[in-house]
Amino acid sequence: MTRADKILLALVICALPFLYARLWFPDEQARYVRIQAGDDKPITAELSPDRTLQVHGPLGDSVIEIKESRARFLKSPCKGQQCVHSGWLEAAGELTACLPNRISIQLLGRHPRFDAINF
Amino acid sequence: MNPARLFFVLLLSLAANACSQHNDDVFHDQFFAFGTLIDLTLYGVEPAAARQASELIEQDFHNMHGSWHAWETSALTRLNTQLASGATVIADPSILPLIKEANRLSQLSSGLFNPVIGELISLWGFHDNPLPVGTVPDADRIRELVAQKPSATDITINGNRINSRNPAVRYDLGAFAKGYAIDRAIVRLRKLGISNAIVNAGGDLRAIGRHGERPWRIGIRHPRQPAILASIEIEGDTSVFTSGDYERFFEVDGIRQHHIIDPRSGYPADRTASVTVIYNNAATADAAATALFVAGPDEWPAIARDMGIKLVMLIDTEGVIHMNPAMQSRIQFEPGMDADVQLSEPLS
Repeated sequence: MTRADKILLALVICALPFLYARLWFPDEQARYVRIQAGDDKPITAELSPDRTLQVHGPLGDSVIEIKESRARFLKSPCKGQQCVHSGWLEAAGELTACLPNRISIQLLGRHPRFDAINF
Repeated sequence: MNPARLFFVLLLSLAANACSQHNDDVFHDQFFAFGTLIDLTLYGVEPAAARQASELIEQDFHNMHGSWHAWETSALTRLNTQLASGATVIADPSILPLIKEANRLSQLSSGLFNPVIGELISLWGFHDNPLPVGTVPDADRIRELVAQKPSATDITINGNRINSRNPAVRYDLGAFAKGYAIDRAIVRLRKLGISNAIVNAGGDLRAIGRHGERPWRIGIRHPRQPAILASIEIEGDTSVFTSGDYERFFEVDGIRQHHIIDPRSGYPADRTASVTVIYNNAATADAAATALFVAGPDEWPAIARDMGIKLVMLIDTEGVIHMNPAMQSRIQFEPGMDADVQLSEPLS
């Protein structure tokens, strides 16, 4: 075994715990929010800096708030306001929608904890 | 190969394996159809094929919605109009299998899943979008509709001919059609050679195959908190359906009036917050979730047995979690979420 082999071997041994830790403890941190409005192509926005986004739907503008790497419907022109009451999305994979205004938001990350949410 | 080199190769393989477990093999798409958000997840499908599959599935959903709509002009509303007149109806082939299966499941559920109470659901305003605000229907009118007892047993089907002996029958397949549509989507995906997928329609889903080296991981949301209540790992072919009083509702004097109507009383079933059913077939899971929601905390085990459902979790309006032992061993509660669990007798 050459010296280069030994160095590579040492690096691999050091890296293995970190590589597998990523699998055993998935990174659930959300990085982006995906916003779908009706049949338009979805847009993806970063979860920083904190800001609000206005998204147009058939009933008018919904306001999406992005704060501290979370996202929520802050305002929406629908009557039921269920999208607003559903609160903050915090983990990658979570989604909520304003069905009357045909707008959905979903947090994205590299390793979401769940493949789908049942509700 | 000497032992040191073998060890070296083994380590490199392990490292490569760890690096390969990523999410890049997952295709995601979403679209609005069936009055809800459809979320499609495919694993291990080439992007172009995945895109094509998603477009086909979206078109299928729009077509099914057009045929099965309960209040906009559709094959179903035409059927309702003709049945109400007492005529023998030649059923549209796009809805006949759906009607037959809905009737079968209704009878298994002792009528607690009742696909023919469209008049009652309309009276409550759940055929309106947006929902009515501050309106509870007239009590006499509710009593009148309940007294007419529209039931799936009023329907006779011979070949493609349908008769009703009760003019109050009006099909509304809202508690069932979404599951049936998901089943059809799964059939479509399999025909396209796709064997690892989740079709999620507004939070109700059927999953086939798995996510690469691991099962699919599904989170079940709490009916009263913006949090995950529990999770489940599924693979092969499994549907997870939840009916909840938070899905479509309006409030009058602080009281929630939701869309799951008890056909026996004519009012929203008021002892259940949510029911989660796990079953292989989505249409059955959909109908069962509604039937068990209406059955409530006392009657659900009997109805589940009649419908052949083996995995159920019901959360009542007091926050008590009712489930059968097999369900308890199948799901994993989030920390602190299983404080008040009542186990039923086994269902099988």
